[in-house]
Order: sequence, then C-alpha cells, then structure tokens
Amino acid sequence: MSTHTIPVPLETTRQRPLWRQLLTLLPGTALLFGVGFAGKGIESLGHYLRSRHIPFPQVEYVLWAILLGLVIGNAVRLPALFRPGLATYELWLKLGIVLVGAKFVLGDLLHLGGLSLVLVAIELVLSLSVMMLLGRVFKLRPKLTSLLAIGSSICGVTAIMAAQGAIDSEEQDTSTAIAAILTLGALALFTFPAIGHALHMGQQSYGIWTGLAVDNTAEATVTGALYGDEAGRIAILAKTARSSFIGFVVLGYAVYWASRGQAQHVQNKALFLWQKFPKFILGFVAISILATAGFFTHAQLASLGNLSKWAFLPAFAGVGLRTELRDLIHQGWRPILVGVLGEVFLALVTLGLVFFSTHGALR
Amino acid sequence: MDPRPSVKLAFNVDAAAIVIALALAALIRLNVIPHIGW
Repeated sequence: MSTHTIPVPLETTRQRPLWRQLLTLLPGTALLFGVGFAGKGIESLGHYLRSRHIPFPQVEYVLWAILLGLVIGNAVRLPALFRPGLATYELWLKLGIVLVGAKFVLGDLLHLGGLSLVLVAIELVLSLSVMMLLGRVFKLRPKLTSLLAIGSSICGVTAIMAAQGAIDSEEQDTSTAIAAILTLGALALFTFPAIGHALHMGQQSYGIWTGLAVDNTAEATVTGALYGDEAGRIAILAKTARSSFIGFVVLGYAVYWASRGQAQHVQNKALFLWQKFPKFILGFVAISILATAGFFTHAQLASLGNLSKWAFLPAFAGVGLRTELRDLIHQGWRPILVGVLGEVFLALVTLGLVFFSTHGALR
Repeated sequence: MDPRPSVKLAFNVDAAAIVIALALAALIRLNVIPHIGW
C-alpha cells in the first residue's frame, strides 16, 4: 500500500484552501469510480449474455476493473489533473478494509489473526534474512537492499515510504524499491490464483497464503478476491496482521543505520512505533467488535459487507491504473531479479507454513 | 502513478477511512440507509 495520506501537488497545497485542494481530487476520483463501476457493469453484462446463450468470458468484476485500469493507465497518457484523485484509491481501499471488519466476529479475528501473527513472525525473519543475503550477492546498494527487504517482508509501498525517512535513503533507491514491489505485486495478481487452483487450495488457506506472501495491501486484497469472497476477506485479515509489524521492522532498520552513522537516532521509540502503526487497523477491529457485540442486525451486517465491496471497486481500478508496465524495463535488472528471487522464496516458504500450520484444518 | 516522497500531504487517509466507515455504519444502524445491495 502507499502512504498514509493523500498526496496533492506541492504548489497547490501551499496556495489553495482545503476545499480547492479537495476539488483537485475530483477528476481522478471520478475516473477510479468510473473504471470500477464499468468492471462491475461488464460482469453483469456477461451474466445477462450467458443467460441468453451468447458466449462471453466468465470473468469476475475484480479482474475486469483491473484490466480496464491497466489498459487505460498504460495505453493512454492521462492528463496531470487526474493524478491527485487517482491517489485516493488508498482511501477507498482502507475504507473497504475497515468495513469488512463487520464480516469477522471477534473469535474469528483472534483465531485467524493470532495464527496469522505467528506465521508473520516466522515469515518476517526468513524474508528479511534472504533479501539481505540476495542484496549482497547481487551487489545492490545497502540501503536499496534494506528498502527491498522491508517492502517485501511487511507492507510494500507503505513500509518503504515509512523506512525512507527513518534510514535517510536516497530518493532513487526509494523509487526503485517501490517500482520493484509494485511490479512484483502485479505479477502476483495473475500467478497466485492459478497456483491456488492448481493446488486445490481452500478459501481460508489461500487467503492466509496471499496475505502473508503478497507485499502490497491493495494487491494482496485483489489477489485474494480473485479467488473468492472468503479468500479475499481472509487475505485482508492476514495482511493486516502483517502490516501491524511495520513499526518494529522500520525501527530496527532505523536503529541499525543510525548505529552506523548513516541515519538520525530515534529519540522516542514508543512514539516512533505509534507513528508508523497503520491506524486503519484500529477501525477494522472497532467494526468487528461492534459486530460481535450484536450492535448490528444480520441484514445490517450484510449491508456493511456489501458497502465494503462497493468501496473496493475504485480501489481495484486504482491497482490497474497505477501499475505502469514500463517500470519493468526502466528499473534495471538487478533489483527486479533480487525481488523476484526473494518473492519466489517467500511464496514457497509461506505456502509451506500455511499447509504445515493448518494440517488441512483450513479448507 | 504511485505517490513519490516529494509530494505534500493533504489529509490523513487512515483517519478519513475510519471516520467515513463509522459514519456509514451509524447511518445503517439507525436505518437512515435501510439496505445496501450488491
């Protein structure tokens, strides 16, 4: 996932009042919703045509939204006025995640979340070690290696952005690491569901695997949803558990680089952890607590679940629209090779962890 | 297309997501929004 705040071009924020800043978000936001609704519309059209025995690909709205976004984002050079609004995909993604908390009772949250936390801890140690090793073997710049390790082990772009300030990395390294993580996330969209089907994975097993192995929250959500509604929800839960570690890992790297005199010392570590903690997780847990306490009727819970799906629509469109296939060419072969090798290792290890830990109980 | 480090930040997405979600949940709870289909 990207940053915790919506970016607006620097010159506009200095000179314009808030309502005009929000106005600059409208074109891109409208494009996100337009593409998302078009994806949903094409799926409905497919249902209608097939019911009339007219052949049409049986593809879910999630994939339509992404494919439409990919085509528009890569075939057309979008005018600059769309850029601020396109960044709101993150708001819709987090809104959807908070609302999907209504689909988890607290018991499930503790059981699956607890299991995810244990698996995340193992995954973290292994993936950080392997990425650092690969970075040395392929002679990447040390801070680029740190960023790739943080991005692949925790929460993709958010973690890289959080670490960038903490370890004083160069902007070029940050951009390269972000491009590599986004490219690998895009590849996961198409490979993970195929592997899951080939292995006949259950919805819960696949969801946990996706949440543990796919780096960016947006891509993890989509990769889960492509397999099924339940897999999508479980992927969000596992990914959320993984994201909660962000502060600890970034703090670890900040302390390491500060000890080498190449970053500023962290004065207040507790404050640092709180600042880096993804706060939207608190909303997710709050909605789940309300749902568990019987605050909502069954019909209202169903409405909240549907609302989360509507919120995810523009987020899925945003995944397609912001994925620049040109990045595959421009970022150089070594970071992407390190990323690919690390991700393949991570995918295999987490797959093994999921099967080993569940003993077939999660189907 | 992704946000780069040099951009100025306008408002907190996490806080906005939580506030909007809780507001919508309240409206659904109070039956101001009676039903949302899919």
